[in-house]
Amino acid sequence: MKSAPLEPSKPEPGISLRADAWRRLRKSRLALVCLALVAVYAAMALYGEGVYYWFQYQDRTPPYQLQNLSVRYQAPNLLSAHPLGTDGLGRDVLQRLVQGTRIAFRVGLATSMIAIPIGVLLGCLAGYFGGKTDDVIVWIYSTFASIPGLLFILAIAMVVGRGLMGVYLGIGLTTWVGLCRLVRAEVMKHRTRPYVLAARALGMGPFRIIFNHILPNIFHVVIVTFTLRFPASIGTEVFMSFLGIGVQGEPSWGTMISSARLRLWQGIWWEMTFVTLAIFGIVLAFNLLGDALRDALDPRLRTSES
Amino acid sequence: MSRYLWRRILQTIPTVFGVVLITFVLFNIVGGSPAGLILGKNVTPKAFEEFDEQRGFNKPLLFGSWTKTRALEDADFRNGPGAFRNVRGAVWTNGVLTLPPGRYPLPLAFALKPSSDWKLTMEGRVAPGTSVSIFPMIGKISDGFSNDWKKFELIFQSLEKAPEIEVAGGVLELKGVQLRRKTAHFFDSQFVFYLRQLVRFDFGISSSLNQPVAQLLKAGIWPSLALTVPIFVIELILSLVLSLVCAFFRNRFPDRLLVFISVALMSINYLVWIVAGQYWLAFKWGWFPVWGFESWRYLMLPVLIGVISGLGVNVRFYRTIMLDEMYRDYVRTAFAKGVSRSGVLFKHVLKNAMIPVVTNVVIAIPFLYTGSLLLESFFGIPGLGYLGVNAINSRDVDVVRAIVLIGSMLFVVTNLITDILYARLDPRVRFE
Repeated sequence: MKSAPLEPSKPEPGISLRADAWRRLRKSRLALVCLALVAVYAAMALYGEGVYYWFQYQDRTPPYQLQNLSVRYQAPNLLSAHPLGTDGLGRDVLQRLVQGTRIAFRVGLATSMIAIPIGVLLGCLAGYFGGKTDDVIVWIYSTFASIPGLLFILAIAMVVGRGLMGVYLGIGLTTWVGLCRLVRAEVMKHRTRPYVLAARALGMGPFRIIFNHILPNIFHVVIVTFTLRFPASIGTEVFMSFLGIGVQGEPSWGTMISSARLRLWQGIWWEMTFVTLAIFGIVLAFNLLGDALRDALDPRLRTSES
Repeated sequence: MSRYLWRRILQTIPTVFGVVLITFVLFNIVGGSPAGLILGKNVTPKAFEEFDEQRGFNKPLLFGSWTKTRALEDADFRNGPGAFRNVRGAVWTNGVLTLPPGRYPLPLAFALKPSSDWKLTMEGRVAPGTSVSIFPMIGKISDGFSNDWKKFELIFQSLEKAPEIEVAGGVLELKGVQLRRKTAHFFDSQFVFYLRQLVRFDFGISSSLNQPVAQLLKAGIWPSLALTVPIFVIELILSLVLSLVCAFFRNRFPDRLLVFISVALMSINYLVWIVAGQYWLAFKWGWFPVWGFESWRYLMLPVLIGVISGLGVNVRFYRTIMLDEMYRDYVRTAFAKGVSRSGVLFKHVLKNAMIPVVTNVVIAIPFLYTGSLLLESFFGIPGLGYLGVNAINSRDVDVVRAIVLIGSMLFVVTNLITDILYARLDPRVRFE
């Protein structure tokens, strides 16, 4: 923020933080490729969502559940009806892959929707008010942080019950800690900045200062955390579904790996391969995009943590 | 120093308490008694009650004098006669249970524990001149009844004989019935039960394996450590070396390549490593045993997979630490006075970078204990990870809770030790 891009009084019209970040991001070709890849995945997820609701609305068996034993174990053939082949029950691998994308996006978004508000709110309160509030919030997050992560997620999912809700809550309720810590540290830094002091001198309330003034200035932390958490959540979902604690009765990447694993031993390689590639693509894209975003939004933060 | 020490030790108390609280909220308040899921449907309520009794689930959550019993589920006659459908003489119509004069045994699922106090709460009304009492117990409470709908209570001590509701002189109409047992004392609760268990280091009994959890943990820890310690050590050395290579060739081809490989490694799902490794390396090419835990050879493949899957994250992390040091003044000075590149790197940078590295290493230690959930269950290594996954699949609350608790405690303790060591090494820490 050294260049003070938000100052409106400059003779030359200043460039906003967002525009500046976008300009930086555009310079990196890799980041753009990743962004495009994420967009492709998002489109797939949206299409999957459409298919899902359309067939639910029509009360018909969706194509990804359609079993046809006469075409089981078809090898991938781009020109056939099943470009990526079929699985052991004759279901189309491509359609199931798209549904897996849908689940992955749902998990990525839902967990963020749980974790980000908690993390941001608690972090802002702790950082801005300090004192007792800070003590309590630090106590809460250090408690959460000391519980072994994956086991905690699985335990929450176990208690909530099998299914997507367990995945959302398990991941969402445990991953806000890192964000909370980062936001708290940033807010503490901003608390004594002149613009905050000025806002306070003007008689603004603490919440208005936090949410209207400080939060926009630290929002890059949230964005970067979101892009890096997204693939991590997807990975956890795959893991949980694989173990049978996650998604039930719907094709998710985890359940696909779980069933493809057994068929791999019979030489049915395609389901496994395509799922692997799908996961690899999105996780890689998000990871690289996260790094690029971090560099673009805040050059001071280098790729410091995983 | 001793002041800092005490302060730091005292600081761990709230965290430990917090962990206990979270596990309690998770397993007792949100989760509740897992009896139904574990014992199944074809079990008598008595078995449920015994299961709950053993695990303290038949007590109130935090405090209270009265607690529910499985002998008589709360009956709400607005929805149906419930357990009272089998009471001879009782008539249920339109959301009201009518009891003409006579004696009606409570439809208990099993005999009440003798010589404990019970409270029967009924919502009902009577015609004037009707008396209601509990037989063969003392105390008529017909005073509590009136022509209007009202809640009234009967407190009695259970005897060998099943209690009966005695109605005389008129008709008793009921809307609901609840039976409560009096607790031993006001704080005879699940929470206190749990705390007392913890103080005694009693982690309960596994419901799926029917063994004390402590015994299972003891048996599982060595296989877990046999897997995680080699992974940890090899990964640490390898990633430190690679990160130094990165720092040495900063922003040149080898560094870029390594960073790219790291990100790529990070992006491959853990499951894929395992499945592919097990299929090709063990099954197809026969380099390693596929499954089991008989000799050190069985550990080779899981260790290899563990190292590879974690390498990306670690290399990136340590590279950042190394590069952070590279920008420091002392490095510039060292270069300025003509120290060679490798001299700076190994003598100056590595030494100073050790502090964050050590932090990272110490933080990872508690996770060695919990083992690797996936690797162990895939390769059949009977460690704590295997135990944990199985426990979660069979909803074995006691086992999951014990592993979570011990893992957290280890984390707290190692954190404490790191901080104390820091304070010893670096006096500035104490005054922060």
